[in-house]
Amino acid sequence: MNVEAADLTRRLGRTQAVAGVTLTVDRGVYGLLGPNGAGKTSLLRMLATVLAPSSGRLRLLDGDPGDHRQCKAIRRRLGYLPQNPGYYPRFTVVDFVEYFALLKEIPAARVPRAVAAAVERVGLGDKATARLRTLSGGMLRRVGIAQAIVNDPDLLLLDEPTAGLDPEQRVAFRALLRDLGQTATVIVSTHLVEDVGAACTQVGLMDQGRIVFSGTPDELTRRGEGTDAAGDAPLERGYSAVLTEARA
Amino acid sequence: MSFSFGTARLFRLEVRRSALPWLLPVVAILFWLIVYRRSDLFPPVWSIRARAMQTATVSVFLPIVVGAAAWMGGREARHGLTDLLASTVRSRWYRQVALWAATTAWSAVAYAVCVGALYVAIGRQASWGGPLWWPVAVGAACLPVFTALGLAAGGLLPGRFTAPLVSVAAFFALETSAQLIHGDHSPWQISPLVAGPWNGGADQDLATFYPYLSDLPRVQIAFLAGIAVVLVAALGLPATAGSRRQRLAAAALTIAGLATATTAAALAGTGRLDPHGMIAIPAVHDAAADRPVPFTPVCSAAAVPVCLHPAYAYELATVDAALRPVLDQLAGVPGAPVRVSQGAVRYSSDDGGGIGARLDGRQPGGDSPEFRMVLPNQLPGPPLNAENLAAAVRAMTARDIVMAVVCGGREVTDAQEAVIGALTGDPHAPPGSPVAQAAQRFATLPAADRHAWLVRNAAGLRTGGITLEQLP
Repeated sequence: MNVEAADLTRRLGRTQAVAGVTLTVDRGVYGLLGPNGAGKTSLLRMLATVLAPSSGRLRLLDGDPGDHRQCKAIRRRLGYLPQNPGYYPRFTVVDFVEYFALLKEIPAARVPRAVAAAVERVGLGDKATARLRTLSGGMLRRVGIAQAIVNDPDLLLLDEPTAGLDPEQRVAFRALLRDLGQTATVIVSTHLVEDVGAACTQVGLMDQGRIVFSGTPDELTRRGEGTDAAGDAPLERGYSAVLTEARA
Repeated sequence: MSFSFGTARLFRLEVRRSALPWLLPVVAILFWLIVYRRSDLFPPVWSIRARAMQTATVSVFLPIVVGAAAWMGGREARHGLTDLLASTVRSRWYRQVALWAATTAWSAVAYAVCVGALYVAIGRQASWGGPLWWPVAVGAACLPVFTALGLAAGGLLPGRFTAPLVSVAAFFALETSAQLIHGDHSPWQISPLVAGPWNGGADQDLATFYPYLSDLPRVQIAFLAGIAVVLVAALGLPATAGSRRQRLAAAALTIAGLATATTAAALAGTGRLDPHGMIAIPAVHDAAADRPVPFTPVCSAAAVPVCLHPAYAYELATVDAALRPVLDQLAGVPGAPVRVSQGAVRYSSDDGGGIGARLDGRQPGGDSPEFRMVLPNQLPGPPLNAENLAAAVRAMTARDIVMAVVCGGREVTDAQEAVIGALTGDPHAPPGSPVAQAAQRFATLPAADRHAWLVRNAAGLRTGGITLEQLP
């Protein structure tokens, strides 16, 4: 398993952001759904080795992120796109992706090809030399995705990756997710249940720091059948039904 | 291999996208206004201009480089990249060191261009000697400190106002450090603004007759290197900066840097004013630097030539013109010099922290064929222009030459005073007094008669055997 978490908790000040998450994820695309403040971002930050768990056990890519040497090995195989990724306005697209490629210790000789491939993969080949300050929000999002995939990660963590993308870009991005999921573990945190339905093989639903549902998108859809749960689409009704049940 | 290539690529990327190049025009303008143009106000002597360059250049580069580095140092937090960068393999310290190296490289390029242009200009004007590199080295050693200081401040307080605030604070701190200097034993001489005895002003004639003493610059460079190591290493101390091993290395470097800087400051406190006007530090002093620098003087073409150190060749015409009336009258007079030569200055510090300066060695007495003088521009104080220099030479040196011929070191008699006043055209006696009247009478004699009288009576005048009434 690429991600193994057991009773994972994280307290941020007086808030219990993650309250005992147990999760195992292997190759494929795993969608992480949940309302605002459910703990998705905190969980993703822990999986990205940015935030240390308060308690519990976490193993990523068969390594212990608490051990410095193993953590470095994990990070070499990790891609991460935070919810609000920043950027250096004076960098070009290629500069920015190359910067991260170098910080991920991709061998220098492979960097130009890896950067070009990542930029092409997110459809920014024609903007490769554009300064980041000249790009739209959607394009910046794609630059963020490019830096996340530049090292061909075995574990890719994407926090709200489709925010700001137009419908055409979202369709393309879902195809990219499916493609990446063939060889890697992709965990996508999102509010948009249609993204989950279209691209994810597994889905988890978080609420109040806990995972209250884990299964396939079809299983989540079925949880909404025959209920009066709110939602315009079957998956949305499943989402609402699980949340209502969990809170009850 | 890939590690070093990767590091080199990262460095190149940081160099390409550094914010400092945007400030280079500001650096160039300030350097031109404050350093380059001001340099022209000093005599075209390497030692004077190079030391003035060090003080002014450090002041110009400090606020800009510190500000730019602080801006760059705060960029991760300012642009919201902290999380993303924390998930990469390379430590925060590694990223900061790459940024520090790139910012330092840009500041070094700007420094090299500015100082290079100034040195070319000085080289075109100076008549003797070559560039002094120690002041350049001290200024260059400041740059890694300035960038590290800015990065540390920007990393610690990554706000929009950090850069301007820290650059102003650093500027005032540096300027204050020099104001705390009192005397030649002050450890504050470690300040990179200091390029010689601070209380004596920046305009003394040092390192012309004797070599430029590298004692203080070497200690300053050691201090600056220590501070740079402390600041760069301190970036690696926080728990978020890197692994435990890296933090231990950073701690060791911090301690080593602190020890180096402290030792250097303590050494600066053992400095003393060298007789040749520089700060000598016994622990690092090289006795070979106490030997005079050989030179061939430049002389005017006259019966009694005026000879100056070649560094002062630009003043020869002025000095010769100022002394010529007196020297022509004294030519051939028994005891008169056959040559007037420029001598070195001997410096001494007084208890109040001030600096005294006089001719190095004794004036040759008796029938010596040479008179040695010190030019006003060799002494502490602002440099004189040609007009003021000529006036000062007439008032002081010309009188000293005549006194050496007619007085012989004894107390000045009335007759001697009258002759001195007549020959220099500058009688010190009160108008209307018998001495002033005698001086006027003697001065109105035809030059040939006056000269003939002097040739006949110089010996008697010198021994005090001629009275005021015996003067023609």
